[in-house]
Amino acid sequence: MSSFKPKNNRAWLGVLPVLLIVAFSAVIPLMTVVNYSVQDILDFNSRFFVGFEWYQQTLKDPRFVDAFLRQVVFSLTILAIEVPLGVAVAKGIPKDSRFTSLILILLALPLLIPWNVVGTIWQVFARPDIGLLGWTVNALGIPYNYTAEPLHAWLTLVAMDVWHWTSLIALLAFAGLTSIPTPFYQAAELDGASRWQVFRYVEMPRLQGVLIIGVLLRLMDSFMIYTEPFVLTGGGPGNATTMLSQHLATMAVGQFDLGPAAAFSVIYFLFILLFCWIFYTSVVRSDDE
Amino acid sequence: MMNRPGLSRGVLIVYGLYLLLPLYWLLSMSLRSNADIQGSFSLLPPTLTLANFAEIFSNPVWYEGFANSLSYVAINTLISLAVAIPAAYAFSRYRFLGDKQLFFWLLTNRMAPPAVFLLPFFQLYSAVGLFDTPLAVALAHCLFTVPLAVWILEGFFSGVPTELDEMAQIDGHSFLYFFMRVFLPINRGAIGVTLFFCFMFSWVELLLARTLSGASSKPIVVVMTRTVSASGVDWGLLAAAGVLTVLPGVLVVWFVRKDLVKGFALGRVS
Amino acid sequence: MARINLENLGFVYPGAESATLDGLNLTIADGEAHALLGASGAGKTTLLNILSGLLTPTSGALRFDDKDVSRQSGRLRNVAQVFQFPVLYESLSVAENLAFPLKTRKAPENLIRDRLDYICDELHIGDLRALKPAALSLFQKQLIAVGKALVRPDVSLVLLDEPLTAVEPRTKWRLRQTLRRVQADLKVTMIYVTHDQTEALTFADRVSVLTAGGILQTGTPEQVYNSPEHEFVGHFVGSPGMNFLPAKALGINDADRAGFRPEWAVLSRANSTPSTAPANSTGIGHITGKILRIRVQGAQAGKPFGLLTVATDHGEVAVRGEFPDAAVSAGDRLHMQLTRCIAYTDQRKVSDIELL
Repeated sequence: MSSFKPKNNRAWLGVLPVLLIVAFSAVIPLMTVVNYSVQDILDFNSRFFVGFEWYQQTLKDPRFVDAFLRQVVFSLTILAIEVPLGVAVAKGIPKDSRFTSLILILLALPLLIPWNVVGTIWQVFARPDIGLLGWTVNALGIPYNYTAEPLHAWLTLVAMDVWHWTSLIALLAFAGLTSIPTPFYQAAELDGASRWQVFRYVEMPRLQGVLIIGVLLRLMDSFMIYTEPFVLTGGGPGNATTMLSQHLATMAVGQFDLGPAAAFSVIYFLFILLFCWIFYTSVVRSDDE
Repeated sequence: MMNRPGLSRGVLIVYGLYLLLPLYWLLSMSLRSNADIQGSFSLLPPTLTLANFAEIFSNPVWYEGFANSLSYVAINTLISLAVAIPAAYAFSRYRFLGDKQLFFWLLTNRMAPPAVFLLPFFQLYSAVGLFDTPLAVALAHCLFTVPLAVWILEGFFSGVPTELDEMAQIDGHSFLYFFMRVFLPINRGAIGVTLFFCFMFSWVELLLARTLSGASSKPIVVVMTRTVSASGVDWGLLAAAGVLTVLPGVLVVWFVRKDLVKGFALGRVS
Repeated sequence: MARINLENLGFVYPGAESATLDGLNLTIADGEAHALLGASGAGKTTLLNILSGLLTPTSGALRFDDKDVSRQSGRLRNVAQVFQFPVLYESLSVAENLAFPLKTRKAPENLIRDRLDYICDELHIGDLRALKPAALSLFQKQLIAVGKALVRPDVSLVLLDEPLTAVEPRTKWRLRQTLRRVQADLKVTMIYVTHDQTEALTFADRVSVLTAGGILQTGTPEQVYNSPEHEFVGHFVGSPGMNFLPAKALGINDADRAGFRPEWAVLSRANSTPSTAPANSTGIGHITGKILRIRVQGAQAGKPFGLLTVATDHGEVAVRGEFPDAAVSAGDRLHMQLTRCIAYTDQRKVSDIELL
């Protein structure tokens, strides 16, 4: 937000509707969660205050720790693939050809498919018997079965997320690239810059802003991922692909452990906030230097 | 032209194939019978049938599912825009008590995992009698779409010079006239992009939609899970439904394609 | 540094019906400051892009020191360019920006240091070295961009593409002075592309006036101003431009039209009876008319001088000089005795005519 703005507390009137709607859809539920997290709820009529017991229990729970580690590995893996790949794809999009619109629409497609449909598509696509991917990989002589092998399940999950979300990074990066005026490229050419130097000194500085947004969105959303692995692998084989959200849903809805699930929720939320904050401050600080 | 490395073009083409193949597979399955799909593997559908689509269009459970989904997406988009536009204008034009904190707090809501809210939402909407209505899902989705909408619109609105606001004042127009007749039309592109994002998150979401809808407002994404029966999954039917869920998205991108790139570039953090 | 040679140079955009540049011939001496002056659409940008290697000429040749570089990339030609708005590497400091063209060519550290010191001295930008471009004014940024173009000792040609466009109006003249001084000091071959005649005439050793694909005239600023080879040049250069009248109206018989600059006239009051006789009856270079507008620009020895717009029987002309007396007002009849004029046939100059 720019700093040359008049001070006017009546502007609160404009913000009020947002405040009301978010209060209704976030504050009340969040208070409920916090409230549950410090109580032992046997049924809704008999509950006891237990303090931070659920928090301690959650943090010590090996299933939570496992799910958490899987989640971190997953999020870092997909970021490490999707960000460079998205930028590379964006660099390949012609800037003003008659195909540009078509390419952009195609890229946006996976972003607009319901998440369970995404899971379904990959569930079939990767099946060794009737899926194009699974069948082809096996036909090439590589044994592949994502429903039985944890590693295969992981690879399939990552492949699916890359398919689903690289477009977001690519569209953001393309928007960043098109904002670079051609003289910047001409000057770099005359300066004798190599292709790498053009990328490093002309394109990267302009991409930084949009990529921060892209990484933040991907970081948040990959940490919340639920539907796609739920449909694709159901968290299996075993618990090999059970991420935090699925673990939570099992606890809260499946086992009805309200107190521990609430404590888990609060920790979960705080972790996402923490990760985003670490990423954002580290990028902004290195930018200030 | 210089700096047009063939490598990036190659990456685009390979990635394009990677992107299209699963979609092709979905389309191909939707045009085959379930027995055919499960019977043998083949690259091209051996026989084409529209039976799966016919089933969807003739069975009210399916098309009501579509109607339910579209109605909560529409309600969500309307609410999101209606509350986000004044807020984004306030953030972009004025400083006020707690503005920065409020803006950041709004964004943190975007970081809350839906799974966290499943149970409280269920209780809250049951308590106020909204459970099993499109409005419940729409309001729940606002948790994610409203912060994003404010974020995007604020970026666009800040790019519009304040001279415009002042000029309208000098011309003697009321603020409302200026806002509706001048300011909003100028930002049509921004609103288009915001619409795209609201749609994108509300249409594709399953977890909250499933939790907050009962028998009378089942969204299409939930209806789809019914293709799993005792006799296994009806892949053909599921694929046909999947193809149909892609279409509204295609329509939305088509309408905002011109603004999409600009909108992506203007979203910003600060 | 190099001598630049355009030989019958032509360029047609793919699919275009007519050539954007057609048969251009021009030699620019080593160390010359040359201005390409033309209105928009004259092909300036196309020519610039050919010189920088962005476009390849479709016919003819471009030579640097007799070597044909038509098909060589701009970086191999050692061309540097300053753009309409400052183009710098935003993430690099001023010193790193200046060193960039040397670093990419793997110049030794001590050479880089020497050249940086030299350029910083020449442009007085030493105290900006550690700053990032974001901290600079537009003027300073463009100055750094100029420094970046000049930093390589082996630069053969520096192209300046309307470099004052984005600079704040108050600092335009300072940047122009700096460019002129640096060019004179370093003796770098420079081509300055502009649509602004003042910039062209004050910057360059020689000026080429471009119109729709061709060069109409190349010469020193004095030649271009005092002896335009083509009516368009006379019209385009000067403010206001040259006056053109039918040659017969000025008593010249062997040409189509005659042109004169506003200041090439001695002004006096015409006798009050309207002259119906043809102008040539009173000799060559006389014309009378009625004053339409007066713009006083000063006074000398009690007599005002300035710009007068005068309606003659053959069209309006603008003259500048000492008024006959202080009481001159609109509607008065004015007699103009030209000191010199130029005769044109088919828009081309046929002769300079000195009259007084």
